[in-house]
Amino acid sequence: MEFNRHISRRLHEEHVATLALWGRLESALAAGRHDAALLKSAAASLERELDRHFRFEEAELFPRLAEAGEGDIGELLREEHETIRAAGMRFIKLVSDEITNPEVKRLGLELAERLVNHVQKEEMALLPALDDFIDEETDHELDSAYAAT
Amino acid sequence: MFGNVARSRLLPMSLPFRYFGAAAAFQLGAWALLLFFPTELVNFEIGLGPVFAALHLLTLGVLAMSAIGATLQLLPVATRQPVSALWAVRLQWWLFVPGTALFAGAGAAYRPDLLGAGAMAVVLSLLLYGILLFRNLLGARGMRVVVAHGWAALACLVALAATGLALVGRYEHGWAIDHQALRAAHLVLATFGFMGLLAIGLSGFLLPMLAVAPPPPQRVAYAVLGLALAGIVMGSLGWTLPGALAGLGAALLHVGAMERSLRARLRPRLEPSFLLVRVSWACLIACLALAALGFPGGTLLFALLLVPGWLLTFLLGVLARIVPFLASVHASSSDRGTPIIAALTPARLLAAHRALHLAALALLVAAALTGQAVLAAAGAACGLASATLFSAFFVFVLCKVRHGIQPPHQPAAA
Repeated sequence: MEFNRHISRRLHEEHVATLALWGRLESALAAGRHDAALLKSAAASLERELDRHFRFEEAELFPRLAEAGEGDIGELLREEHETIRAAGMRFIKLVSDEITNPEVKRLGLELAERLVNHVQKEEMALLPALDDFIDEETDHELDSAYAAT
Repeated sequence: MFGNVARSRLLPMSLPFRYFGAAAAFQLGAWALLLFFPTELVNFEIGLGPVFAALHLLTLGVLAMSAIGATLQLLPVATRQPVSALWAVRLQWWLFVPGTALFAGAGAAYRPDLLGAGAMAVVLSLLLYGILLFRNLLGARGMRVVVAHGWAALACLVALAATGLALVGRYEHGWAIDHQALRAAHLVLATFGFMGLLAIGLSGFLLPMLAVAPPPPQRVAYAVLGLALAGIVMGSLGWTLPGALAGLGAALLHVGAMERSLRARLRPRLEPSFLLVRVSWACLIACLALAALGFPGGTLLFALLLVPGWLLTFLLGVLARIVPFLASVHASSSDRGTPIIAALTPARLLAAHRALHLAALALLVAAALTGQAVLAAAGAACGLASATLFSAFFVFVLCKVRHGIQPPHQPAAA
């Protein structure tokens, strides 16, 4: 999918990286492989995503989505953030403290599916909408602000 | 003209799901008719009767019904335009469902006097849908290639309705028209035109989304559309060979582009429902190859590969994935969170559904090749069983959404 705004493209690139990493992790976990390095990489990536990507969308994009009359989609994405955040924090802690805990596999598979489904919705509904209700000046401001975080 | 615009592009769950529910019910009716009249199927000759009714239960009741429900929810996402009138959607459904039932019932009962009333209700409902589609496409932003397929499908829908009314006029009033030519045009416009173009157009963004893959290049998608339109026009005019060759070119290009897209997917795991999608593509190519070769094996084989083979198999593969996806969107709440799709996907039930549907296809193809009614009956029995499982899947999803979902990490047990 092609996006016209810098901020959409930046978020899209992060989505692609997330999907690639969590796709690899999902395959490894489903095959019963316990790849500690991959688990740590996924946990570190998720921590950054929760802190930066999610927070930016909640503070800057979802309110704009609501102003544009797409509040229910914004609300849905926010609810998904909450669910992913709760599972993600537990996954990050387990990978850090008890990486061999069987709960790591279950949470990893759950998060892989949740992240894929969440990215699908953002790619379908959020990013294309940004092209409509963000002008070039706002796009530049948002992109700069995000790059600085 | 149309007030009561949807608040956003996300429709209330009851709107798309009433179409999917009706389609599940009509599919049961279609297979049941074939089960009770297998001899009529293998000896099918054009005209009213149970096979005519089963065909229209499938095309109108299942394929068009689901296509309308799916496009009402998916096109607003692709075009970034909300549906312009929710009341018109409800009215459309209330005209379309009884209209289809009456039309098929009249056909099955050899009652041309009732056929017209059913056809009028169906055409009125399709007119409403056409207006909704027209307004949505008119204000469309983004996904231009999907929008282009939408316009082409809309043009085919108009021509399809006109040819359908003319055919009913012949049955009911004995109009002097070239029945065979008009019937062939009606078939091409309905299957390759309206439903086929919607299926191909939406595939370009829906399947990559579901598989987490890049969409096919736009220039390829436009080439597919151009070739497909050329084939549809030629096929409708009775130029079977060039029409089939153009259609075959479009199909090969489309399937090749989609396969390349799927191979580049970011998520290694591909949902099992993609098996049905791939079988449907094989049936599409096979039926166009048969048409290009002059229909070896007979027109029944061609029709079986076209309607249950390509269109129905594709639809079932896609619905198995988007019904849980849409349900998870609507089941989300701030207190219980968003359920994962696996909790709304009864894996074993859907696996059995796939096996039975594919067995039904294989047996029907064997029946068409051998002329054995017993094979047709066995195929219809498998089809009816698969449609029953599909209905159970649909009810399962509704119950999960209505009565709450297991803790989100637990997969569905059914």
